[in-house]
Amino acid sequence: MALVDDLRSTLGSDRVHSHPLELLVYDKDAGVTRGEAVAVVLPETTQEVAACVRIAASHGVPVVARGAGTGLAGGSVPAEPALLVVLTRLNEIWEIDEYARTAWVGAGVLNLDLSRATEHLGLHYAPDPSSQAACTVGGNVGTNAGGPHCLAEGTTVAHILGVEFVTSDGDVVMLGSKAPDPPGLDLRGVVVGSEGTLGIVTKVLVKLTENPPAVRTLLLTFDSIQAAAATVSGVIAAGIVPAALEMMDQPMVVAVEGFIGAGLPVEAAAVLLAELVGLEEGVVAEASVVERIANEAGATSVRVAADDAERAVLWKARKNAFGAVAQAAPDYYLHDTVVPRTKLAEVMTEIYEIGRRNNIQMLNVFHAGDGNLHPLVAYDAREPGMSEKVRAAAEEMVRVSVAAGGSLTGEHGVGLEKRELMGLVFEPIDLDAQARLREAFDPHGRMNPGKVLPTGARCFDFDLAGKKEVSP
Amino acid sequence: MTVLKAELTRLAKGMLADPVPGAPPVDLTVAPSQVEDAAAILRFASTVGLRVLFWGGGTHQGIGNAVAPDVVMTTHGLDRIVDWQAEDLTIVVEAGVTVSALEAQLQQRGQTAVLPETPAGATVGGVAAAGLSGWRRLRYGPTRDRVLEVVLATGDGRAVTGGGRLVKNVTGYDLPRLATGSLGSLGLIARLCLKLWPLAAHQGMVHVSDPEAALRTAYRPLAVIETNEGSIVYLAGTLAELEAQAERLGGRLASGHRWPEPLAGPWEFVLRVPAGATGRFVDEIRRNGWAFQAAHGVGEVRLVVDSGDDERLAGLREEAETLGGTLVVFNSPARGVLDPWGAAPGSADLQRRVKAAFDPVGIANPGILPGGI
Repeated sequence: MALVDDLRSTLGSDRVHSHPLELLVYDKDAGVTRGEAVAVVLPETTQEVAACVRIAASHGVPVVARGAGTGLAGGSVPAEPALLVVLTRLNEIWEIDEYARTAWVGAGVLNLDLSRATEHLGLHYAPDPSSQAACTVGGNVGTNAGGPHCLAEGTTVAHILGVEFVTSDGDVVMLGSKAPDPPGLDLRGVVVGSEGTLGIVTKVLVKLTENPPAVRTLLLTFDSIQAAAATVSGVIAAGIVPAALEMMDQPMVVAVEGFIGAGLPVEAAAVLLAELVGLEEGVVAEASVVERIANEAGATSVRVAADDAERAVLWKARKNAFGAVAQAAPDYYLHDTVVPRTKLAEVMTEIYEIGRRNNIQMLNVFHAGDGNLHPLVAYDAREPGMSEKVRAAAEEMVRVSVAAGGSLTGEHGVGLEKRELMGLVFEPIDLDAQARLREAFDPHGRMNPGKVLPTGARCFDFDLAGKKEVSP
Repeated sequence: MTVLKAELTRLAKGMLADPVPGAPPVDLTVAPSQVEDAAAILRFASTVGLRVLFWGGGTHQGIGNAVAPDVVMTTHGLDRIVDWQAEDLTIVVEAGVTVSALEAQLQQRGQTAVLPETPAGATVGGVAAAGLSGWRRLRYGPTRDRVLEVVLATGDGRAVTGGGRLVKNVTGYDLPRLATGSLGSLGLIARLCLKLWPLAAHQGMVHVSDPEAALRTAYRPLAVIETNEGSIVYLAGTLAELEAQAERLGGRLASGHRWPEPLAGPWEFVLRVPAGATGRFVDEIRRNGWAFQAAHGVGEVRLVVDSGDDERLAGLREEAETLGGTLVVFNSPARGVLDPWGAAPGSADLQRRVKAAFDPVGIANPGILPGGI
């Protein structure tokens, strides 16, 4: 095949895979959708990535970028047969600037490795998705990934100062800068979260965050989801933005306990994990306010992690929640809707009702503090009709979130999974504007086609081209 | 022009306004009070090729390449607070609301939009369009990170919404971040949803002698500002926190915040450099005897000089650009002595295409961006 020959002559044969068995490994991410790669390449430099993009373009084959494949929305799963550019070998940490609190890293560097590499300087990389031990910084940029600690610090985009970017033509440009507010349009901000549909990010300039001098982690127990949700709304309304504010419902606590054994209260209807960081004096004051609000909402117990070890166990329990689900059923479908924080209790009630009505097994663990819901449906895909039932319930859950003023995704991305639901939150004219923006980056539709925007998004024809040009 | 004027008058539904003081002379000044009206006017302007200059409070019109407009579109008719969800820490406002009016309202419920602290008559839309952040950026990040939703009347006359009224949301392409700092090059920012922060119970300041050391000693201060008069660390939190911070810094805690008065001078510049290099640039600016205000930890230095053709400015710009920074002209009595932006970015082609996606004819603040985009 001419494409594979051209790729091999550039990368050598051991970094170009085209055997069906080799390709099988790459046909899905951590979610439920599958796709087809015509070849898989493992470039090691930006120039090699650019060369792959040019070669694919010359053969009329689309390009899909992929990090560690931990995505959940199908962002790195080809929607049509494509060249899969796997960026895990761009895994060098190029520079750590202690004074500017920045680092230049390859797109393939693992999220957690970056924080480990900066730990001795008292700094860390703030976005911390549950998959942080496996996911790449480049993948995080692709999805604008979140994590528990994005409540106070913002998702990935707030921590990306610049990117080295391979355009759809295979050119390399720098977007953003180490200095604040580079002149011109903020293309960096658009590229972050664009799921590889505008081009490929090969190198990332990240902002590092100072480690807090004091941390308090509280485990709050409730006998109803509504009481836990009321506590979340109460804390935010009281003017406290904790570093993290996570909720788990009883089915999830039971699953996690069986997996980790962190001593979580399995009899509770819901638990909240609240983390406060800062100076000791401030953390103490905020913890007492959180405790008071929880008690007023009817908390049945409040446990403060006594030391770092106990805190680590609580977080291990939280971050292994998805692994724990494997015990409940062979497959799971994880949602990622987001709602205004004042609507948490009412939307959760509706979501449980959807689960009950459809008779599906549902577990919840989510970023309650920023209204980011993650209902997780555990099921067995081999059961006839089950996948369809799960998907139908999923769409219902998305609809109730949107109806409450929410949106489709808080951190996983739109990918393949939710693109046809985009019309729930955007008008045709808004989607058309997004399609035009995408065309400006990728006029030939080469980069990860079939993602993010629904079919027919470019529907308005306000074509003013051909009108009189105005010279500046 | 009379035919066009008649048509525009009809479109503006009687919203023709008096000329705006300070604006370049134009045939028409329009002040739409609805997003759809602004879009209709822009669509007409695109059809007939009229250049439109957007105007908020007029406080930052000195930024960027000069625009030679046929029409000025002001936002003073778009001055409503649309939806304040205090318990969700979000607010939807129209572009023409002034920063001081908004912050005064928010303060009544102990909240802030973290917009510039000494805004004069600046509007929320103007600050967003210019991509300006206040001093508290060190602690809360840039304004751009708090623009959650934007309604844009595009250059070709579409009323487009991007983002959402949610503090966390990755649904669709990030139009709010693109619009922030776009200086009207895509169209008019007509309405925005902003993320708010709770105000801390106490505010305080500590004078320090070494701002760089203070930056590393204090835990996440709001700002560390150095001026010709000295350096101040700005703090917020509980009284106990403030006292602990002051003790660590080895200084006396003064209550409240007094922000530096905006620098006034014939030539105003903003130097933007990697945060770690701020001190080095401040030393050079001091040696030149210029009045300045530096945000340590951010890498931004505001300065005023008496002459725009001072060779030392060109040197400063070159040095900043070597480190990936810039020296931007913020205000000048005359154009053309020093380029408003300096070197054009490497992504100029891409930027031109992105502008064209919103403003294909090129009537929205045409040429204002670097490279004449």
